[in-house]
Amino acid sequence: MQIVKNVLFALTAAAFMSFSAKAQKVEFTEYDLPNGLHVILHADHHAPVVAVSVMYHVGSKNEEPGRTGFAHFFEHLLFEGSDNIKRGQFMKIVSANGGSNNANTTQDRTFYYEVFPSNYLETGLWLESERMMHPVINDIGVKIQDEVVKEEKRQSFDNRPYGNFINTVAKDLFTTHPYHNGVIGEMKDIDAAKLEEFKAFFKQYYVPNNAVLTIAGDIDPVKTKALIAGYFGPIPGGPPVVYHKVDEPPMTKAIVDTFYDANTQIPLVAVAYRIPGRNSRDARVMQMISNLLSSGGSSRLYKKMVDDKKEALQVLAFNYTLEDYGMYIIGALPNNSTNEVLLKDIDDEVVKLQTDLISQEDYQKLENQMENNYVNANSRQLGIAENLANGYTFYHKDTNELNEELAVYKSITREEIRDAAKKYLDANKRLTLYYLPGKAKAK
Amino acid sequence: MTKKNQMKKLILLAAGALFIQLAQAQTIDRSKEPAPGPAPVLSIKDPVIYKLPNGITLLVVEDHRLPKVTANYMIDAGSVTEGDKAGVLSLMGGMLNEGTKAKAKSDFDEAVDKIGANVNLNWSGGYASALTRYFTTAFKLMGEALKEPAFTQESFDKLKSQELTGLKSQAKNAKAISARVTNALAYGKNHPDGEFETEESIQKLTLQDVKDAYAKYVGPSRGYLTITGDIKPAEAKVLVTEVFGSWTGPKVSLEKVADSPNPAKTEIDLVDVPNAVQSEINVVNLVNLRMSDPDYFPVLIANYILGGGAQARLFMNLREKHSFTYGAYSSLGAGRLQSMFDASASVRNAKTDSAVTEFLAEVNRIRTEKVTDEELTNAKALYAGSFARGLEDPARTATFASNILINNLPADFYKTYLQKVNAVTADDVMRVAKKYMDYDHLRVIIVGSQGQILPGLQKTGLPINFFDKYAAPVTAPAAGK
Repeated sequence: MQIVKNVLFALTAAAFMSFSAKAQKVEFTEYDLPNGLHVILHADHHAPVVAVSVMYHVGSKNEEPGRTGFAHFFEHLLFEGSDNIKRGQFMKIVSANGGSNNANTTQDRTFYYEVFPSNYLETGLWLESERMMHPVINDIGVKIQDEVVKEEKRQSFDNRPYGNFINTVAKDLFTTHPYHNGVIGEMKDIDAAKLEEFKAFFKQYYVPNNAVLTIAGDIDPVKTKALIAGYFGPIPGGPPVVYHKVDEPPMTKAIVDTFYDANTQIPLVAVAYRIPGRNSRDARVMQMISNLLSSGGSSRLYKKMVDDKKEALQVLAFNYTLEDYGMYIIGALPNNSTNEVLLKDIDDEVVKLQTDLISQEDYQKLENQMENNYVNANSRQLGIAENLANGYTFYHKDTNELNEELAVYKSITREEIRDAAKKYLDANKRLTLYYLPGKAKAK
Repeated sequence: MTKKNQMKKLILLAAGALFIQLAQAQTIDRSKEPAPGPAPVLSIKDPVIYKLPNGITLLVVEDHRLPKVTANYMIDAGSVTEGDKAGVLSLMGGMLNEGTKAKAKSDFDEAVDKIGANVNLNWSGGYASALTRYFTTAFKLMGEALKEPAFTQESFDKLKSQELTGLKSQAKNAKAISARVTNALAYGKNHPDGEFETEESIQKLTLQDVKDAYAKYVGPSRGYLTITGDIKPAEAKVLVTEVFGSWTGPKVSLEKVADSPNPAKTEIDLVDVPNAVQSEINVVNLVNLRMSDPDYFPVLIANYILGGGAQARLFMNLREKHSFTYGAYSSLGAGRLQSMFDASASVRNAKTDSAVTEFLAEVNRIRTEKVTDEELTNAKALYAGSFARGLEDPARTATFASNILINNLPADFYKTYLQKVNAVTADDVMRVAKKYMDYDHLRVIIVGSQGQILPGLQKTGLPINFFDKYAAPVTAPAAGK
């Protein structure tokens, strides 16, 4: 029901999906159904809870030109009911059985889930298989959800301070790649779409061979497999989903942009760089750089700009990591200071990273932070389900990725950190965004 | 699958009272909802509780699944009136994160970050979380910060300036304005839950005010320390005794707060935020409800049916039927002091008055018509399910235990929780809805673009009062505007 929001200050959450240490390996089994549906099972009997989830490998980057917002809109439509579930019943069935559910859409994937007391596993399988097999896609649903999504856009973007920040960065960093459009899209595109187009979108992307079913929690794997075969087996497979990555031409110069947000009174000034996608070693190196710059009171930007010079209300450095590319963003909110002073101090710290190796002490600190984040990452069944599905969907079908990631972090050297800073944080190939208080200018 | 026969620490919770056996899997009938499996048996393991001589209650939940330990300290000071020092408590809490007598802030932060830990303090307690091997270090840092704060003028000036900038940053945010004004109008600006900080109140604060507030509230008195994770209770007790055993401080007692009245007649209270593209609507009244009150469980169910989630009446009406909003919900609090019934949504400007009408109609309906058996059954099932799902969090049982102590509840409050939920009838729901959802004495507080929404609101026939962003009355706009 919502777009995954990388809210401005949720930096620490940005890319701490999954770390591993031997002591806490997440065990799982996985297999494919004949129709191509990939199934992942993780059994944990600690609490009588089960998470049932489906990740479809479709997001806003799969949208046709002129049809922005489609993927997210579709997520809303798929709560409208199915051949066997009447309109309005979907959420009722979940709650009437003591469950909770939701869904969210990013540029790359759409994720649906229910969490139930474990004796309602079959209910979860029924709901998700109904959604995949034969959802009702009709004019009533489109009309209602069209208005609901417009309210979501107002609430989450247009009426929220800094709500349009990420979309503005994306617009500027990507000129040809569909990441340009953001997830919520333009409302006129949804308004212009015909019912047939929604039906075609379903046929193309909501096929079992483009999905991962992950069940985590208090389950008996043998019985669960039999149930899955019963509920999902009869769903026909479809043609393979073909996605052609659009290569974004390298940035050749620095861009400067200004955006006005009437909901704010304090500017946000930021620099943003285009970097490689999540399934790359460098994306992880950049994550470590985020920690160095802005995680904790002793981090470099925080200490310098918030505590020592007292010129910033807040600083941020995070890797908005996506499948094809990442947006690496460093920014600050001034406190009795000017945007130019903040930009200069950010640049000075970046130059330091590019010039000097970080100390052994800083390196040890990073490792401890990474390990701590990892331990916290896989504590709930729903989180485990999503992390397992992410591994399969985004890391060359490597479901075990969440068990390997900490080792990758530990293998990253201080030299790599310096070199990545040099390679990606190039002052001549970046966006400088002044996100300012005030009325947006007429366009 | 679940642990059985743990004797008195177990209760059998019949989720939805259904015990039907799992059907054979392969022959599924997808035309109807599957029957659930046998209800799982939930075990609620009590935390180990110690009482330190200086007043701290220590609750330990042992859970070795992950190599980490978390500590949470909470001083039960209740609602505190700050008066003309509004904002001092939050500033004092911030100051506890600014270093100690022995460690400058930069050294303190380095010590925390070095071990990858999280340590945060606030005016009524603190939090420390770390990998098991670093927990002792992290916990001692938390203790040091609470017991021996540095309280330097430099830090104070910095935090004060940040606070002022932060206030400014929220000045045009309809949601933030709405939160402030709703409490201020409902409780009154002199009530601890209704007062708020302003630029003026922050400007006047001094470092001495912070020190005074610390001296008045921070110490072992009414303190609850919860430690959860990879640690043995006896070890935890030794550590806590070492860090906090000899700590002394003020005796904290709960403030006596007079009740605030609801309006004589249901009214609209309107605040103009011209830049808003949505109206923030809160339909509220104050209630007197203790958790120990027999009405508590019927109220849970009544609120749940009205606005407890995406299947409840408000959501189904305002979002799924009318698409006025992305979501509409309600809540009804319980506690030692007055708390609030609050039905709310963010609604687009053009539908603000229609949404108000629907809100009022739904409040009226749950007071005057019995809820259906289906609604009642579903609501109970949801409580059973969310209770079970909540047990995924190991700290939950410690929360149960401290709630029992703080709210003076019977020891078996949570062990009989679902039985009490199950006993609620449709008559109970209507009775408590009438009592606590005060249809004739509501405040309909609307923060939005007045020029666009006022003509519609006038058609509702409700009296309209006008306020500024700080809940001060203003005169009505001239007619025709």
